[in-house]
Amino acid sequence: MEYLSSNKIAIIDLGASKTIQKELDEDLVKEKIGGAGITTALYEEYRDEDPIVLGTGLLTGTLAPASALGMVTAKSPVTGKICHAPFTLYGGVELKYCGFDYVVIKGSSPKPVYLWIHDGIADVNDGKEIWGKDVWISTDMIREVMGDPLIQILAIGKAGESESDFAQVCINYWASGDRWGFGKLFGQKKLKLVAMRGMSLLEIADPEGFVRKCKEFLSTIKSGPYAGKGGIGELSAAMGEDIRQWLEPIIHRHLSCFNTPFPTNTFVFLDEDPKLLKETEKKEPGFLITDVHGLLGYKKLGLSAAEACDLLRDCAKYGIDAVAVAELSQKAGKKKPDEIKKSLSGLKGSLESVGKGKFSPWAPSFTLSSDEWERRQAVAYLFGIHPIYALMSPEFSEEKLIELANLGTGLGFTSETLDKVIIDILK
Amino acid sequence: MGIKVDPKKCVSCMACELACGYHRDDGFALLSSCIMVTRGREKKDYSAVVLKEEENLVIARPEGLEIRKLGSTGEASSGREKEDASAKPLLLREPCDLCGDREEGPLCLQFCPVNAISMN
Repeated sequence: MEYLSSNKIAIIDLGASKTIQKELDEDLVKEKIGGAGITTALYEEYRDEDPIVLGTGLLTGTLAPASALGMVTAKSPVTGKICHAPFTLYGGVELKYCGFDYVVIKGSSPKPVYLWIHDGIADVNDGKEIWGKDVWISTDMIREVMGDPLIQILAIGKAGESESDFAQVCINYWASGDRWGFGKLFGQKKLKLVAMRGMSLLEIADPEGFVRKCKEFLSTIKSGPYAGKGGIGELSAAMGEDIRQWLEPIIHRHLSCFNTPFPTNTFVFLDEDPKLLKETEKKEPGFLITDVHGLLGYKKLGLSAAEACDLLRDCAKYGIDAVAVAELSQKAGKKKPDEIKKSLSGLKGSLESVGKGKFSPWAPSFTLSSDEWERRQAVAYLFGIHPIYALMSPEFSEEKLIELANLGTGLGFTSETLDKVIIDILK
Repeated sequence: MGIKVDPKKCVSCMACELACGYHRDDGFALLSSCIMVTRGREKKDYSAVVLKEEENLVIARPEGLEIRKLGSTGEASSGREKEDASAKPLLLREPCDLCGDREEGPLCLQFCPVNAISMN
């Protein structure tokens, strides 16, 4: 695969602690496009070895608006189905640039390990120093050891190590869109984290045509209904559960994922003045909210915004899905932050908020029907478009994405190709 | 004439960095950009936009702008370690040429989704 690609797949055998590399076959891309199309195909190829597949979409890491998406594809311990969980911020782009479009992690390690994927190399390293540490400390330790604060990390905390059904694979210090208990899978495989860093160059079949078209799309988006807006509060308002006033006093600023026109994340300061402009002296002043559902769950318990965000921070450190914690706390009648914090270890119960399909319910449905939501998610996960942003920008249509994919790769995708792949991955 | 950055509008999406990288490399890469969003202080939510010009290093921080003459004292430490946590330090890259070969002007400006970049 020559364009928009690193042209490599890493196959990592945790049991044997060995990695092999394969080329990304252009015929596979022609048939499956990318992203969830190819992670699903790779899952099926290695199905007998209980794989976790990491991947990026065809347009991830390009100037296509919102091309931020990376994904984890595996069998969910929660639903028993093959599901896809998103990782955004700078994780998707870092995976694309680290030299592999896809990473298959198969088998289990007898001892704690972590993966260090960088510049076309994938190493299995001893993880005994970080096993037992929370997500924040683990991320800090890896970045310090490697001497690079820009390493992007998919990590589990103690929830994953103890194989909780609600364990989440976090991204750096923050919650991800993993609602499938993939953190438990990491824990079962004794895989503490995946560290990614790379400096690849992605070539483009028609560079100027591709960039011109990206610019046109961005121009349309910039005059759309979300122009000038941002943050988790706006998402909640679009969902009909407006928390903007409740959250406002602690907001430091809103942050985008890679090349995403709408900032879907909000950083709140809990131990610092939110209006501070200069660099704080505090090492850990707050939290980046990346999941609106967890926040809404704690608000429903009657907590203040600061209490809710403090709990989100604890959940991320522990590596547990805050949505599950909020729902189970509600059911158990726990409404005080301290008692909720104490319940993280050994949390059990059944959830009603579990996604029923292939794609994480992390992306709100807004006003879409379930069929419309699912198709739009499928498109996002194939092309590598931020799954929330894909729902917010219908003007970024399937036809436009296909046009971009063809300018980028020269492979001649059609709407028939897309329909076929979507049917395949929704099976 | 030069590029002006409003860091209070910036959402740290890196579109400017990738657009600049494309201008340099005719492909998508981040190692040659002369504009970058510093992301090394993630837990503190503190970042700046740094631009290498022909003679200056421009650091647009939320609390204000700093312009350092290239070659001045202190440039190396701040340019390499604090503002610029990258594999290829900004000071080793080509300075901004305002995308002089492009009729529509600088690509970073055109790709900023929140209009944080403008021409001085």
